[in-house]
Amino acid sequence: MSAADSTVPSLPEGYERTMPSGAVKLPALYATAGARAATSAAGDAAASASRRVLPALRTSPVGRILPASLRTPGRDRVSGALELPRVAHVVEGLAADPEWHEKFCRVVHATPHPEAPGSAETAVFSGALHCLAFPVAMSVLTRKDFPLPVLGMVHISNTVHHVSDVAVGERVTATAWTENLRAHRAGTMLDAVVTLTREDGSVAWAGRSGYLAKGVHTAIAGEAPRAGSEDAAQREHAPFEAPLPTGQWSLGAGTGRDYAAVSGDYNPIHLSDPSARALGMKGAIAHGMYTASRALALTGVPSEVPFTWSVDFATPVRLPATVAVAVDDDGRGAHWSASHVQVWGPKRNRPHAQLRVAAL
Amino acid sequence: MSENTQRNAPKTTEKTTDTRGTGSKPAPVMAATGKHASTPAGTRAVVVAGNRIPFSRAGGPYANASNQDMLTAAIDGLVARTGIAGERLGAVAAGAVIKHSRDFNLTRESVLGSALDHATPAYDVQMACATGMETVSSISNKIRLGQIEAGIAGGVDSSSDAPIAVSEGLRRALLKLQRAKTTMQKIQAFKDIRPADLTPAVPSSGEPRTGLSMGEHQALTTQHWGITREAQDELAAASHQHLAAAYERGFFDDLVTPFKGLTKDNNMRPDSTVEKLGNLNPVFGKKLSGEATMTAGNSTPLTDGASAVLITTDEWASQRGLTPLAEVVDTESAAVDFVTGKEGLLMAPAYAVPRLLARHGLTLQDLDLVEIHEAFASTVLAIMKAWESPEFCKDRLGLDAPLGSIDRSKLNVNGSSLATGHPFAATGGRIVASTAKELAARAKAEGRPQTALISVCAAGGQGVAMLLRSA
Repeated sequence: MSAADSTVPSLPEGYERTMPSGAVKLPALYATAGARAATSAAGDAAASASRRVLPALRTSPVGRILPASLRTPGRDRVSGALELPRVAHVVEGLAADPEWHEKFCRVVHATPHPEAPGSAETAVFSGALHCLAFPVAMSVLTRKDFPLPVLGMVHISNTVHHVSDVAVGERVTATAWTENLRAHRAGTMLDAVVTLTREDGSVAWAGRSGYLAKGVHTAIAGEAPRAGSEDAAQREHAPFEAPLPTGQWSLGAGTGRDYAAVSGDYNPIHLSDPSARALGMKGAIAHGMYTASRALALTGVPSEVPFTWSVDFATPVRLPATVAVAVDDDGRGAHWSASHVQVWGPKRNRPHAQLRVAAL
Repeated sequence: MSENTQRNAPKTTEKTTDTRGTGSKPAPVMAATGKHASTPAGTRAVVVAGNRIPFSRAGGPYANASNQDMLTAAIDGLVARTGIAGERLGAVAAGAVIKHSRDFNLTRESVLGSALDHATPAYDVQMACATGMETVSSISNKIRLGQIEAGIAGGVDSSSDAPIAVSEGLRRALLKLQRAKTTMQKIQAFKDIRPADLTPAVPSSGEPRTGLSMGEHQALTTQHWGITREAQDELAAASHQHLAAAYERGFFDDLVTPFKGLTKDNNMRPDSTVEKLGNLNPVFGKKLSGEATMTAGNSTPLTDGASAVLITTDEWASQRGLTPLAEVVDTESAAVDFVTGKEGLLMAPAYAVPRLLARHGLTLQDLDLVEIHEAFASTVLAIMKAWESPEFCKDRLGLDAPLGSIDRSKLNVNGSSLATGHPFAATGGRIVASTAKELAARAKAEGRPQTALISVCAAGGQGVAMLLRSA
């Protein structure tokens, strides 16, 4: 974990806050649960919120979300130093639709709980907030001046600060930007950061996703030529020793499609074997955030407690699969302080992901 | 009610009343009216008789028998043997673990189909494999409170006639369709159905919260306690041999009524030996790092069957010329946190039993008979090993000294679930009836009261323990 993970992310200096440039594009990134396209998400945020806008890319033509860099040939031979756009996209009036939230929780086996004991409002599951924020991050990653190809990018790690619960239907503002471009042994990594702020301006939730652009080896602006990067050290980790399982998940071939339907992440690597192979994978793999959300739902993190969770993805889960899980809660209820979940493939003894949750 | 009880109950400072001494007790003839002032305190609940149909391996002779058919047969056999046809009982409690939603009133429907008075109320109970134990506990408590004078406790399960449900996706779509008012909404509901939703959902023995089957859970416990393959096979062989011997000497003549051409449990293998069992391949725990030791031979098979136990007051029994076999002394339930792996799924009895014994000032060695339900051979062995472990008894049970070992000659003397099979909800009734009969026989032979402990583990990390004493 880098030092950046320990504090709630905040917009770095010198970043320009802007509505997503593609005011035309954003509606394509958003659609309502009933596939009612929000016509003007950016221009008429209030109206969109009243229609319970929720993220789903299902109606977007694929070409729209491809960045310029992907549409130009020779993308692996990007010349010159890379630089991330110093821009943050701000989208107001996002809200979780009640029906969508129920569906999401069902898919990841989460039990919704009230925002506060006795409250009639339901708190949005932390993994669902990621999906609410995800399209805004996508809008940054798909900017014309974003230097890396977004399609086929691998999600390596994810850290979330869940500062306070957001109620289903409550309007929040998402601010998304990219930072921390760095070298990785298998390519180039960067962080996509999204914060969700309430109407009073307080940050309720902040997520930092580490993405790897595989095979992109090039100079990074403001960084010394790559030699021994921090990620290189991670390669020499100890062989995986499986703990005793506390449970197992039977993941059907449709797991990726099910999660895509509620998350809006229709990356073809998750949908089917042929579509995944087309992008160089051996077959369809589960969404990392599906694994993370299911793992988070297994922990005994009590409601009302602000917490942080982070997940590290090792090998992807090839679908269909039966994976082993081990949950370890440190304390229960009022005495809870932390949880640790490990997910691995028992057949070949390969780690898939591990999740750590701790009280903030 | 509580006020009434307090006024009339004998002065006891302890929370738990010792029900042993029961010399004088007024006889509430009809204890159904709320007005009666006579005290029921000290009323014993006694097991008078028990009956079951032979247990059959799933897909066998009972393949087409419903839960209701089997439960009715078990009740009717009991009614016929005790000559209580046409009687109105205080209550009949029974249940099934694998149950069709149309069987919401399974027990009441079985009573209506039985020779009992149709005015006999009935209710369903479901506590996984401890269902039968819970019904015995519940009926006994009603008797001890003076609410009823006689009742039947039992259970039934069919793994052959299991309900098959539509998939979750189709179910939600159909419900949405039912709620739809406009044609557009109806089309919308249909739109949600995916081809995969047309595959039906079959019940499984997996724990909903962990996704692991009961066998895989037990494999973890087996490994944790280092239970060997040999020890498991020995216990399994003994179970078959004990059951066969009991049939041989006619022990089950007044405990079992033939059903659908079956006169004995068809899972029983009288010639079972450790050598034969040793040839079987392991089925559970194969993905774990250690040696897999659990086979089809030392695990219980899926089984169909039903059982019923008649529990009454001494008064009610003697009025009908029936002889009480054993008193239901007390029950204790426990549950463990298996979800995060802090304890094994089937280890709850290891916690219930010490609490029950402590309440009655008993030790494991005071018992004359011990019945530990053989969900798997390793379940019995792990529980017994836990009671022998100073660490477990200190850290988990808070005891200064371990509970100690159990004399194997007192354990499951007439065979248990590995041999009979285990139709989930019917197992409690089977064990209670057999144990009550064995207690009565031993008390008569030895001329002194006998005490038995029954322990049954259940899905969901639960367990029920019960004390019976010869009547």
